[in-house]
Amino acid sequence: MTKVLNHHPTPEMLVEFSAGTLDTATSICVASHLHFCKCCRDEVARLDEVGSQLMAISSPETIDDALFDKVMVKIDQPQPVAEAAPAPKTGISGFPVHVNKLIHNASKTPVWKRLSSSMEEAKLFTGQNKFEVALHKICAGGVTPKHDHRGLEYTVVLKGSFSDESSVYTEGDFIIRQPGDVHQPMGAKNGECICLSVQESPIKLTSFLGFFLNPWLKVKPA
Amino acid sequence: MEKVRATVDKKPQSAPKVAFFKSTEKRDDKWSTLLVEVGESQDRRAFAELFAHFAPLLKSFAQASRQDGWFPGLAEDLVQEVMIKVWQKAGGYNPQKASATTWIYTVARNCRIDMLRRKCNTQHLPLENEDFWHEPDEETPVSLLRQKRTEDHVKQSLGQLPREQNEILRKVYLEGKSHAEASQELDLPLGTVKSRVRLGLQKLQILVAPEFREELLND
Ligand SMILES: [Zn+2]
Repeated sequence: MTKVLNHHPTPEMLVEFSAGTLDTATSICVASHLHFCKCCRDEVARLDEVGSQLMAISSPETIDDALFDKVMVKIDQPQPVAEAAPAPKTGISGFPVHVNKLIHNASKTPVWKRLSSSMEEAKLFTGQNKFEVALHKICAGGVTPKHDHRGLEYTVVLKGSFSDESSVYTEGDFIIRQPGDVHQPMGAKNGECICLSVQESPIKLTSFLGFFLNPWLKVKPA
Repeated sequence: MEKVRATVDKKPQSAPKVAFFKSTEKRDDKWSTLLVEVGESQDRRAFAELFAHFAPLLKSFAQASRQDGWFPGLAEDLVQEVMIKVWQKAGGYNPQKASATTWIYTVARNCRIDMLRRKCNTQHLPLENEDFWHEPDEETPVSLLRQKRTEDHVKQSLGQLPREQNEILRKVYLEGKSHAEASQELDLPLGTVKSRVRLGLQKLQILVAPEFREELLND
């Protein structure tokens, strides 16, 4: 676990993750990276000290005595048994807990779909629609079609490794693709590779263009 | 692959340090001691003292939020939910890893996000923020020592930051603004907001560039 990785989230992402202001989908990726990266975990622990200290020196608010009594009553009540679903035990070994929880989501079980001869995709339900969150599986030695990115994309390698024109990415590596980046990932020869990826929803891009184009078309003289 | 082997090989050499640092790393401030008592023996008097100190701070933390989903009852709900979690989870608190203040802050941060998300979302949310913080950590003596140093340093230096850096950190951590939101609100370019945050954090000796972080990990 003390493996040294080369591709990390940006410092801003770690700050927002620590402050709790990072959106859910990006948090899923950052937390997946943290599962593999001790130095970013330590960094986040240091960042937490800032929030902690800011809270500690903030001016205290008055608390109604009744609130303490309420809390005491609640802690005396017997614990509701199994209020939250227990963490899945059948998850993919080595995967972060939260990813396994998404894979074993009882209400929406992901399904693998073939995208090409060398690649499969399983969309994950995350309760948000700013980003599309999915697992991608590249078979050993698989070459995926060259593609460009319409929107921002984050990828974290969860199992195995893959490479592209610029680098080799191994378990835990966090890859950021800007809109317009073109690349062609290739699975490693020695085994399948599974990645978690978060992509700006294509739907969002369409509606964004639609919003700007439609009014313009309207005022255009016929 | 070679890198992996290299770090594994180093492990046995650093093992003896553990015993040396262990005794010095334990937090022994009043609140951490009380939290240990709650965890070990469900001590109600200790819990009442923690409540008297932290509930007013938690309420203040809830009211500072300027996030979507904020509602007037958030403060009281948050105080209750966090303090009940403190009671239930105190057994898992490790004073070597963090102070009670930091431990309780992280519980509060996660609760606050979840309460706000639940308020904004009509969809079922399969994850809670706490799910992102499940990494069991095999703490190394170096990381524990570094963590304690950061804690002390943040305590001493936070008040001495230039006003604008202090302001931006409060926006991010207390009000819960993203960098982008803060830039809109302060009418500053995003780059300026990012660099203010970075400068502030670097003065607190946080945010170490990745290449140096690796050294910290292995020295
Ligand atoms: Zn990292």
